[in-house]
Amino acid sequence: MLRAAVFIFVVVVLSHSALGQGVKAPSLTLKSIEGRTVRLSDYRGQVVLINFWATWCPPCRAEMPDLVKLQREYGKDGLQIIGVTYLPERQAHVRRFTQRLKVNYPIVIGTRETKARFSPDETLPLTVIIDREGTIRGSIAGILLPEEFDLQIKPLLQQRASERETNHVQKNK
Amino acid sequence: MFRRISNFAVACAMVLTLGLTTAFAATKTTTIRVTGMKCNQCSSSVAKALKATAGVQEAEVSFEKGQVVITYDDEKVTEAKLREVINSTGFKVAE
Repeated sequence: MLRAAVFIFVVVVLSHSALGQGVKAPSLTLKSIEGRTVRLSDYRGQVVLINFWATWCPPCRAEMPDLVKLQREYGKDGLQIIGVTYLPERQAHVRRFTQRLKVNYPIVIGTRETKARFSPDETLPLTVIIDREGTIRGSIAGILLPEEFDLQIKPLLQQRASERETNHVQKNK
Repeated sequence: MFRRISNFAVACAMVLTLGLTTAFAATKTTTIRVTGMKCNQCSSSVAKALKATAGVQEAEVSFEKGQVVITYDDEKVTEAKLREVINSTGFKVAE
């Protein structure tokens, strides 16, 4: 009985803490496909989307051109996408693929464990949303739909824009 | 009295039939075969994209069978559009 209670307690705690909403994002330091060290902490102050993907996953490949467009369009507003490969893949293969798509955000080589640190969800692609303070605000399982971007990510980008406007008005007074 | 009741019953039956016919006339179910769905982890995007499409009521993906069963309102969405949505997820509708 006690064992069952402990098990249920552990499952409940893990399901809430294994990195759902409102939890500080764990540190992440990985090598990019160009050999550069990419640290999640370097992007503090920006809205970060960690996109877990794999070259063998058709929806991951299908959504990448849209992610490139989003990075291009919203980068100036503080959006930073980081692509993390799900399984250790051959770097040359990943590099060829991302070059062909002209991917404009860092791609790092991750593992199954890297993904597990951010979400217990096995779905691919999976996009983890981290706000400007480094807090996980949720995750999007499957292809990122435009309405999901508008609903969950745009408001985080607009926060800073509205703060900037307020500061500008105050300075000019 | 009996006549009034029977007239009322007939009227009710007609209204009910008309309502049900209208409600279900547009609902269709189709099974579409999809190639390339080899992993459960990634096939959920197909159901997600379909369910986000106006007129789709239900979409059940089976990666083992390589198919998706879709219930939709054919006044709001066509089967051609459903095929287009599936193809946009990176998988391919089998011809």
